[in-house]
Amino acid sequence: MFRAMLVKEFRLVGRDKQALAALFIMPAIFILIMSMALKDTFDSERALVDYAVIDLDETAESVAFGNFLAADKGLHKYESAAATSSERQSALREGLDFVVEIPAGFTEKLLNTPAEKPIPLKIYAAADIKKEMLKLFQAKLLSGVQQLRLKDLKQELSPLLSAAALNLAATKFAGFEMSVKEIVTVHFSGQLEGQRPTSTQQSVPSWIVFGLFFVIIPLSTIFIGERQQNTLLRMRAMHVSTPVLLVGKIIPYMVINQLQVCLMIGVGMFVVPLFGADALTLGRSLSGLFMVSFGLSLTAVGTAILIAVSVKTVEQATTIGGIINILLGAIGGIMVPKFYMPEVMQSLARLSPMSWGLDGFLDIFLRGLGPVEVLPEFLKLVSLGGFLLLLAGIIFERNLKTV
Amino acid sequence: MISIKNLSKSYGKIKALNQLDLEIAKGTIFGLLGPNGAGKTTLVSILNGLLDFDIGEIEVLGVELGANLKSIRKRSAFIPQALALYDNLSVIENLRFFAGIQNISGTVLRHNLDYAISVNRLEAILEQRAQTLSGGQRRRLNIAIGLLNNPELLYFDEPTVGIDPESRNQILETIRSFKDDAKTVIYTSHYMPEIEKLCDEVAIIDHGRIILKGRLATLLQEEKSDSVVFELLHSSRVQLDAIASQNDDLQVVDAATLLLVRQSSEKVGQLLARLASEEIAIRQLRYGTTNLEALFLRLTATGAADV
Repeated sequence: MFRAMLVKEFRLVGRDKQALAALFIMPAIFILIMSMALKDTFDSERALVDYAVIDLDETAESVAFGNFLAADKGLHKYESAAATSSERQSALREGLDFVVEIPAGFTEKLLNTPAEKPIPLKIYAAADIKKEMLKLFQAKLLSGVQQLRLKDLKQELSPLLSAAALNLAATKFAGFEMSVKEIVTVHFSGQLEGQRPTSTQQSVPSWIVFGLFFVIIPLSTIFIGERQQNTLLRMRAMHVSTPVLLVGKIIPYMVINQLQVCLMIGVGMFVVPLFGADALTLGRSLSGLFMVSFGLSLTAVGTAILIAVSVKTVEQATTIGGIINILLGAIGGIMVPKFYMPEVMQSLARLSPMSWGLDGFLDIFLRGLGPVEVLPEFLKLVSLGGFLLLLAGIIFERNLKTV
Repeated sequence: MISIKNLSKSYGKIKALNQLDLEIAKGTIFGLLGPNGAGKTTLVSILNGLLDFDIGEIEVLGVELGANLKSIRKRSAFIPQALALYDNLSVIENLRFFAGIQNISGTVLRHNLDYAISVNRLEAILEQRAQTLSGGQRRRLNIAIGLLNNPELLYFDEPTVGIDPESRNQILETIRSFKDDAKTVIYTSHYMPEIEKLCDEVAIIDHGRIILKGRLATLLQEEKSDSVVFELLHSSRVQLDAIASQNDDLQVVDAATLLLVRQSSEKVGQLLARLASEEIAIRQLRYGTTNLEALFLRLTATGAADV
């Protein structure tokens, strides 16, 4: 009996071009596009701030100050003409974040009359600049000013000190000129020494989770079609029970979900690199990966069957299924990473099964963890999936009694 | 074969079946008639175990229904009016799937498949997807699926809806052949001439009760009366409705048949004149006889709209 149901279900899905597109082609394209789109999001070398400098001071020190800013890869210097007020306004409106004006006499006053207040640097900022970005940029400018002062102090002190003291001072001053990279090393959780998580590694798990839930649409539409065409009624008249009917749906679509996971991982590993982005690498635990995808699949299939037994038409199932998919994805951190969300939204995200699945996949792909660590997510997903299926079974049975 | 005693079923305050009694003998082709909402679908659903009932006693195939549903289902088949098959599967894939879920395999499967295919003349279209078949072929496939367990008892719910006359005749021929195999058929339809051609016995159900039951020939014989049946040529339903609206004793049976009750020479003469003025030719006049549709109309107050 099961064999017949499995073969039938695979044949129906295999011959439904829209279902195949929704299940396999769409997630694959999604992964490709999103990996490309997010390629630089997590790249620490990527410039976050676009700025221009107007040097009215035109001294060797002011040039050194400009070079100090330019050496930071987090800042991207524009050589735009922003000298006049209108040019400046226009540049800031068109995407420039800051224009720094070094006023005439700035370094002279800063270095030669340190007891007096310096002539301040002027920052022209874009109207939509974030407060944090402004603070960081101000800190960077301050750091540049301190560098100028230290260099100057070093030069002033050198004739006054003994050779030994001068060497010591030179060594210490050299410390102030170190770059962040020289004094800070960053270690990423779950990565080998010197490795950093790639954008592919960070984004692909989201799209796998999202892709698995696409199963809602073909499953629910085929189920409703069977009900409308009376094939379900006929099967019941042939003494096929509700649990058998439901299991005959659950197994094929869970297998399809696992095929989707393989496809999407394959795209991440072999296709994405062809377009210049980093390749996906598998985590260290295939069993953990299977646990998470199994739990997610059970929840997705449970949601699909619950929708199928609760609505009347294919159109309703397609609309409701699509909305649920997008909503779960939006609040579950699929489209926007959870750490970008406000606290309230983050609390809400914890209720989304997509968020549980995503956490599990990130543990596997990003943090190098295994079955023990993903067990809580697995249990939550399996429990929810089981509950949804039970509810669907009850509603299905109740509906049958009102034939 | 089927014995129903005192069967009642309600949907809330609505009584779908009301203390219904019915006996159907083995090997009969039994027509179940009734206006919409009379209780036919409820009765067939209950007999197939698809619906619970409130009170009553039901025996199907000689055993009590509730306790023996599984064994009864193995020996019976329900062929629904809607085409309960998969459009995206081929004919043979549909047949194999529905055989598979009934756990039919091995030599039994081969034998039953051959039987279902040959009886319904599906040999030439086995590999075709169901969605590419004609209406008649799909109806035949729908019936073939019901034969996969080689049932002793078959329930047909309007199996010829929406198909051409040739396919209709083929299907009726197929159903008639079940009698030779000693199968019992319960046949519900609104199409009276079909029931007249096919069924040995009929029951008319109305408001949840059997209001008439018996051998068709006997019922029609008993119904002989002072009526005259006008069988016409080149007439239309609209024309006949217009004529009947002016005569209380005249009933429109179908687009080519009028029934004149309480006949007299004068009334017959008037009607002949009227038909001549409308240029409607007469194929035959039958005195003192009736047909099933006229009998049905007389017994059910709901009238022609339901037929």
